[in-house]
Amino acid sequence: MKEYDVCIIGSGAGGGPVALTLAEAGYSVLVLEKGPWFTEADFFKDELACCRRSVYTPDLKDERHVLEEYNGQNDDGSYKWSSESTFDSGSDFWNGNCVGGSSNFMSGYFYRLKPKDFRLLSEFGEIKGANVVDWPIDYAAMEPYYTKAETVVGISGKILPHKHQEPRSTPDFPYPPTAEHAVSGLIDKACHELNMTPLPTPRAVLSVPKDDRRSCEYSGFCGSYGCSSGAKGSSRAALLNKAVESGNCEIRAHAKVYKLSSDQSGKVSSADYFDKENIKRSVSAKIFVVACQAIETSRLLLASTGPKHPNGIANNTGQVGKNLLFSAGGSGTGEFTYKQFDSQLAQAMQQRGPFVNRGLQDWYFIDDKEFGAPAKGGVIDFLFRHPNGISKANGEKWDDNGNLMWGKPLKQKLKKVFAETKYLRFEVFNDWLPTDDCFVSLDNSVKDKWDSPVAKIRLGYHDHDLKVGRYLANKSELVLKQMNAKNIRSSVSGAPPPNLVAGGCRFGNDPATSVLNADCQAHDAENLYVTDGSFMPTGGSVPYTWTIYANAFRVADIIKQRL
Amino acid sequence: MRKELIKKTLLCWEDTIPDGLHERIQQRQSRRNFLKAAAIVPAGIYLSGCDNPASTPTTAENKISSVEQAPWNTFASVQNHLFPKDDESPGADDINATTYLKLVLELPGTDDADKKFIRDGVNWTNDLSRQMFDRNFHQLDFGKKEQVLQRISKSRAGESWLSLLLLYIFEALIADPVYGGNTNQVGWQWLEHAPGFPLPPEDKRYYLLR
Repeated sequence: MKEYDVCIIGSGAGGGPVALTLAEAGYSVLVLEKGPWFTEADFFKDELACCRRSVYTPDLKDERHVLEEYNGQNDDGSYKWSSESTFDSGSDFWNGNCVGGSSNFMSGYFYRLKPKDFRLLSEFGEIKGANVVDWPIDYAAMEPYYTKAETVVGISGKILPHKHQEPRSTPDFPYPPTAEHAVSGLIDKACHELNMTPLPTPRAVLSVPKDDRRSCEYSGFCGSYGCSSGAKGSSRAALLNKAVESGNCEIRAHAKVYKLSSDQSGKVSSADYFDKENIKRSVSAKIFVVACQAIETSRLLLASTGPKHPNGIANNTGQVGKNLLFSAGGSGTGEFTYKQFDSQLAQAMQQRGPFVNRGLQDWYFIDDKEFGAPAKGGVIDFLFRHPNGISKANGEKWDDNGNLMWGKPLKQKLKKVFAETKYLRFEVFNDWLPTDDCFVSLDNSVKDKWDSPVAKIRLGYHDHDLKVGRYLANKSELVLKQMNAKNIRSSVSGAPPPNLVAGGCRFGNDPATSVLNADCQAHDAENLYVTDGSFMPTGGSVPYTWTIYANAFRVADIIKQRL
Repeated sequence: MRKELIKKTLLCWEDTIPDGLHERIQQRQSRRNFLKAAAIVPAGIYLSGCDNPASTPTTAENKISSVEQAPWNTFASVQNHLFPKDDESPGADDINATTYLKLVLELPGTDDADKKFIRDGVNWTNDLSRQMFDRNFHQLDFGKKEQVLQRISKSRAGESWLSLLLLYIFEALIADPVYGGNTNQVGWQWLEHAPGFPLPPEDKRYYLLR
């Protein structure tokens, strides 16, 4: 059996940088990806394919999760948890399962963390009921790799100095901002009137062509859709294609790894997988890198028992799966009717394609007596309601009292929503505090189609998350109000967004409280690394992808040194 | 106990659950579990709670060649009532909603429990229609159809069924015409909905991709 230098399990944002770095350095790399290998030639603006059928994600009949949700308290005050599989509930917890992973389907809102995010415990102190810790590395260790991702992945943006701007080693982004919608100017005006600092949103979307990737074609259907121009900086388009071109990287699609086998020395000896025909295969390598997205990474490690790892590899102190993170916060909406604008602006407002590209970081750190002690806050992003027509129509079929509508009243409502109204939304991102009530374990009663226990996810959250989220949502509503939007409403909840997930394999210096060391190497298996978002001990208040890319480039350099 | 009550609602559209209890069950019971419960009610038995047992059995095996025939004429009739044509806008027939629904029930990618539920529902609708007015649904006038659908929507199962039919009407209205609905893009034109490009060609329809 051929022994590869490196075997990477998972081809998303955590796997791509390692594959590219090591393949370009001349090492033999094998990437095992559970899903199929789509290319630009398979991606269309097809709402059924992207969002209404399981095309980029598994059929829930074959592969599901079990979700445990808060269900009241016992007499002694302890929490009760209800448990239901996603097949039964219909709520899907998969993201992109294909070459490039969910980075194919992101909207590409890209933010770096800030220096204080690496030391939240030192900066803001303990929060009762939360497991906040400092990271074992600081921002300076990550900075060169954030910069590397800007060039290699392709991040478009513009630096506008503001009080929470993180330090940078380069003055500005390598690619100019993507085209902007007329509404961006209206947001700027309102924010300035309110003494807020509107910032251009960096995007992992090319504003100019790069290598064989075309620049953005501004269809307006970006998030949830695969990119047909190659402009979106998915792991596949930006990294894996180049890794394969180097001649040193092989990608095996439809390869579902169910176990990492390990030997008496405690090292990983093989990755065991089912191929497309469901035949069991094994590959060996000097180094194994796991990057299956947080939940499936924890699941794979827990399932990988061995002579030195009775409870799963990397899990000798029982930390795998613990302190799972999502993104806390919520979202809100305001409505404009085209009639309220003059004809020129009305026409501009109806345009679809250019990005809204505006966000606020004024409350990245909150220092406001009305809120309480100084605290970590978050970011606000503005965007239009998703242009998906079927889901839009389907969301409008209930009247204000929750009764189903049909006939003429329904049709009048649809016409108004589609043709007369523009919905400006905002999204609030704040830290999902790590707690003992949010973790991954194996469900031994529910199996996938290969007879492996599925991941069971407990979805508890900390009330502090809602307090911060509400504070930021109220600030966001002020902007919509200033813009004369109507029907402004927002919702902040502890419902986890499945596409914004990290943690479960914290990195840290103490093996008793972490899974990985500062190099993202397993404390108890020296040839095993984890490079997806699992390593994050605290989440920060921005989408995870840029940090995942940066950290994976960082760990790739560490592995390169070692090889 | 809970299961018994759920099963009872599925004997036909008649809702036999007292209101308060109904709501509590609704909160706890997820959609798909409910559909699973529906799937285990044996064919034939579901009629016993209704006054009029003269109904055709469930239709999974029925060979239907034309949307003119039962049960598709009833589907079409319900769809046109839910989504009627008027002077300014297309109705269910104009967007090919019935043929589209028929395709959905034949294609991979739709949950089997959903498929069975959609097929069972059309029989339950005719059961109720005959019980109320001695005629199948498609033979009723507008006012009576409205009465039947209102009554159906008062039961949780009925509301789920109508809601599912509306979803597939919206797909026929707004999905790319390559899937058989949205004839000549009439849905997009009415809603002034500009599709994104590139549009899916026939050989890249979703069920051909994986």
